[in-house]
Amino acid sequence: MSDDIGLIAHLMRRAGFGASRGEIEAHAARGYEATVEWLLHPGEPGDFGEDLAKRRAIGFDEGGAAFELWMVRMIHSNNPLEEKMALFFHSLFPVIYMSQGRALLNQLDSFRRHAFGSFRDMLVALSSDPAMLLFLNNNDNHMDAMNENYGRELVELFSMGVGNYTEKDVKECARAFTGWTLGNADYMAVRAGKNSFDPYGSIAWHYQYRADDHDTGVKTFLGETGEFNGEDICDIIARQPASARFICTRLFQFFAADTVDEGGRHTIDEMVETYYSSGYEIRSVLRTLFNSDYFKSEQARYARVKGPVELVISAVRMTGASATPDAGSAGANGATGPMGQAVYRPPSVEGWHEGKEWIESGALMERVNFVAKLFRDPAKPGVRDIIDRIAGSNGGVYSPEETVDMCLDLVGPVRASEETRAHLVDFASVGGDVDLRGDDRDKSEARVGEILALITATPEFQFA
Amino acid sequence: MFNLEYVKTIGGGRKIRPYDMAFSADGKYYVLNHATGFGAGRFTVCNFDEDIIAELPDNAGDGTFAQPVAIAFDRDERMFVLDEAKHRVAILDKNADFLGEWGANGSGDGELDRPSALRFDRNDDCYVADQMNHRVQKFTKDGEYLLQWGSFGDGEGQFNMPWGLNLDSQGSVYVADWRNDRIQKFTPDGEFLAAFGESGGGDGQFDRPSCVVVDDEGYIYVGDWGNERVQVLDPDGGFVTKLHGQATLSVWASRFIDSNPDEKRTREASDLYPDLPAELRSPFHVSSQTEPHFFGITSLHIDDEDRLYVVDSRRQRFQIYQKRNSG
Repeated sequence: MSDDIGLIAHLMRRAGFGASRGEIEAHAARGYEATVEWLLHPGEPGDFGEDLAKRRAIGFDEGGAAFELWMVRMIHSNNPLEEKMALFFHSLFPVIYMSQGRALLNQLDSFRRHAFGSFRDMLVALSSDPAMLLFLNNNDNHMDAMNENYGRELVELFSMGVGNYTEKDVKECARAFTGWTLGNADYMAVRAGKNSFDPYGSIAWHYQYRADDHDTGVKTFLGETGEFNGEDICDIIARQPASARFICTRLFQFFAADTVDEGGRHTIDEMVETYYSSGYEIRSVLRTLFNSDYFKSEQARYARVKGPVELVISAVRMTGASATPDAGSAGANGATGPMGQAVYRPPSVEGWHEGKEWIESGALMERVNFVAKLFRDPAKPGVRDIIDRIAGSNGGVYSPEETVDMCLDLVGPVRASEETRAHLVDFASVGGDVDLRGDDRDKSEARVGEILALITATPEFQFA
Repeated sequence: MFNLEYVKTIGGGRKIRPYDMAFSADGKYYVLNHATGFGAGRFTVCNFDEDIIAELPDNAGDGTFAQPVAIAFDRDERMFVLDEAKHRVAILDKNADFLGEWGANGSGDGELDRPSALRFDRNDDCYVADQMNHRVQKFTKDGEYLLQWGSFGDGEGQFNMPWGLNLDSQGSVYVADWRNDRIQKFTPDGEFLAAFGESGGGDGQFDRPSCVVVDDEGYIYVGDWGNERVQVLDPDGGFVTKLHGQATLSVWASRFIDSNPDEKRTREASDLYPDLPAELRSPFHVSSQTEPHFFGITSLHIDDEDRLYVVDSRRQRFQIYQKRNSG
């Protein structure tokens, strides 16, 4: 494999959901840094068949259908990093589904709008997001009856982390967010509490600021004093070194490596420097990360366990199992839950515990079965492309070793250990050479599919 | 001067989940529900006074309907129910007893692929919008194939996933050419006569029109589905007016609200026409948050008294407007 191909494939696994060999070659032709810039500047996302989904089902954006829409978008979007960032922020600022899929789809739109902008603006958007407001009860945070739930999580889980604020700061933060609520808050809360669709179906939620319910008094927060409102709190939080390190570390762990070693710490330091020099701009921070020596190093490759959504979406994208947006998500929506990551069903407000915790035995079986089933099928467009590339390269008859090496290359490239490769070759050797010509071609194609399916079960494939 | 005056809303309270409707000769409404459950049968028979006269069973002959999308009466008042997912027409009597069926999946003459609309002409022949075959087909009411026109494309007489269709008093056929964002008009034999509209949200523009109906004076009412509104065009296709919906509580909806005091109290303190943030001002988002507005118009009807019925599917109701010519 050429280093360009391997490096681009690594970038697309991390900053996207993987890519076919044809896509990787196109990116390689444009160059690594240009590809990074392309990822960082999303254009039109493309057509996801949302009009047809809406036509086919009245409740196209409710319940599980809402998550199906997101899965289809992740599979077909022209902007893989934009969707990856939506997933990142869903993991970082988790909300558990509460009766309204539309609110969650609107939240994803908000994440996309702010994914590459200022972290301060993202915090303001989060603080005015209807799903979050209702999930963490800020609709019950009143001038004369404070509810500190959102204020606490904002500083503890969504920005600085424990040890960087006092209980007094939490209360002052909550005071600043009094009046940040839903439109028609009481009515919407009653309806949400009863999951009411009466009298005329679901009414979606929107943010409303109520000046008459805002505590305008002087507050002292993180050592600063003033008549702070929520935006002022986000200003102050965004300035904190703890916030800079928090967001940079979480981005590093999501895109670069599950654990932070010495080299990782140095990269995070560079990201923090960029955070301040760019005015907290997430796009600039990501640019620093993707162009860092650490990220591009051999050490960083296959150093992260693919999360269930990443694994499933990448498999569907690579195999072309969802040929068009109209075709749905090819089972992706139902597949990630048994693997431990049903979107909008995080275990708690802390989100999912990522890394090696994704691979407990039951989940591993689900992961392997879902992906293997797709790669085993030579009729899938992406598998067809792999087989055609193999058949077209050297006359069509290959030794088991050659077949395994080409499959490893074209499905990743996957860098298999010698032990893994030996097992794969043993498996491929049953039946002798692979003849992709003439009468036995169908049988040989099925064997290639089986080899690809076995590769997806390897530890190497389960890592990004 | 052309005017449409809001009359009332029927629905809500989980009594109907309408997709299409038909009028019986004695003035009853036969409402085809897109889903059953929560108290709604497959068909709800009701009237202008909001009396529920009957709930009819989900009887498609070989079981239940899968995705019924259109209902129409022939002259003998048999109900013809089109099932998009089963690619066929079921014939029922007014008690929903199964009488017969026709139609099969395919692309040959007389075969159907996700058909989406069915309407009768004065001779009791019927026209079917054959969605995924991108054409219109005409049948006798017994399902004998008569003729067809259309193919995939955006030229005159071509279609991109047509949805609704209807006929005017002269027998001309109007088709909601869904993904081409236009209405096309044809002779009864399928000769192209005119096309109205283009993509967009302005007056006379459409976003995925779902349905169309024409009154006795030739005014054309379009369910401008993606723009969540009804547009009225004059007989030459010129823009006349538009409606966004102004539903009030039906009798059934009022009963629900009255029996849930917490919802009633908080609802009365609410603004049902909220001022939305900039990112939520598309027609879809406005309708998703504004209860009186249309939300997912799937069919339009006009009765003998010049009343327009807008089937407001996502809000589980239909809104009624009275046409008046004044001045």
